[in-house]
Amino acid sequence: MKPEENRLHAYLDGELDAAASLEFEAQMAENPALRAACERQRELSAAIREKADYYPAPSRLRRISESPKKFLRFAPAFALVAVIAFALGALLKFPTAEDPLAREVVASHVRATLGGRLIDVASSDQHTVKPWLSARLPFSPPVADLSQDGFELAGARLDYAAGQPVAVLVYKRRQHVVDVFVWPAAGESEISASTREGFNVERFALGGMRYWVVSDLNRNELDDFARLLAARR
Amino acid sequence: MPHLDAAFNLARWLTRNDHDAEDVVQEAMLRAYRFFDALRGEARPWLLAIVRNACFSWLQANRPVELQAIDRMEQESDAPGPEALAARDVDRRRLNEAIAALPVQFREVLVLRELEDLAYKDIARIAEIPIGTVMSRLARARRLLVESLRIIAAPPRLRVQK
Repeated sequence: MKPEENRLHAYLDGELDAAASLEFEAQMAENPALRAACERQRELSAAIREKADYYPAPSRLRRISESPKKFLRFAPAFALVAVIAFALGALLKFPTAEDPLAREVVASHVRATLGGRLIDVASSDQHTVKPWLSARLPFSPPVADLSQDGFELAGARLDYAAGQPVAVLVYKRRQHVVDVFVWPAAGESEISASTREGFNVERFALGGMRYWVVSDLNRNELDDFARLLAARR
Repeated sequence: MPHLDAAFNLARWLTRNDHDAEDVVQEAMLRAYRFFDALRGEARPWLLAIVRNACFSWLQANRPVELQAIDRMEQESDAPGPEALAARDVDRRRLNEAIAALPVQFREVLVLRELEDLAYKDIARIAEIPIGTVMSRLARARRLLVESLRIIAAPPRLRVQK
């Protein structure tokens, strides 16, 4: 890159100090080619400012970022949940009346994440987790080892949903927590996916058990997870 | 959040699509809130620096090839510059396409300078490069633009007499 070309740009951008600016103008006065080059660059700059697209923030982002003061009071973890919930809340496809169960399991997932009470029995060993659950529940939920597929078993907790005590298996994928709610129920159903308050939810029923999977993990990976789980039991 | 438009505009030009730009800005905002206390001086360059870093992390993860473009560009020999330009006649769509096609390191200094009207020292801070590099990248960015637009107008001599 030629230094004089750089100086031309610095001059046009108002980045030369007064002395250098005067010196450059004196050069231009003697050099028509330089003057012409300067004029062309000035036109290009004007054309960019006039014609280049300027992308204002979409209203969704604007909504999220409203009232930063209020936002600041929240702990980062809570802020994360709030942002995701705000952002995707607009996309909520789930009719609210449709499934109080979805609300229950997502609420349990959020409570557990926020409160840090994710796990009652921490173990990556299915043979530790399963007996622990069986001893405390009127049923014995299947516990799959999916570590080969990148979902580490972190443990389990007990919760209450659908009017009964349920097992919650906790898996981890990178920084994401995947909660699997399991309780006995008759009938079988295919995997069906939905989104609620920004969380991805998958459910299916198989082998006398009903499964609800809740996570902030992306849809594709959670689909894979649900399929693996259904295949493993 | 102040300067949200500036944040989104930068992310949109660097990622070149709405959806990814939204994701990146959202992530940058979270980071910004977390480090709000660390804010010294002007808010806009500070926020844009965070957005810019989020964009480059995103590019690194999703389109690493785009980040390599500059190595080839900076070694390139000095091609003769275009001799004439009537930029005011340039078609809006072509101009936008030409800017979008610039290697990302040139695109960012150009967007920060022309669309955000930032001083070299602020651009240097945002892009984490020395001020001299800001100057040479801007010069190169504008030259690349002119070349890709192949703008032809009256010969220079005519323009000088004007």
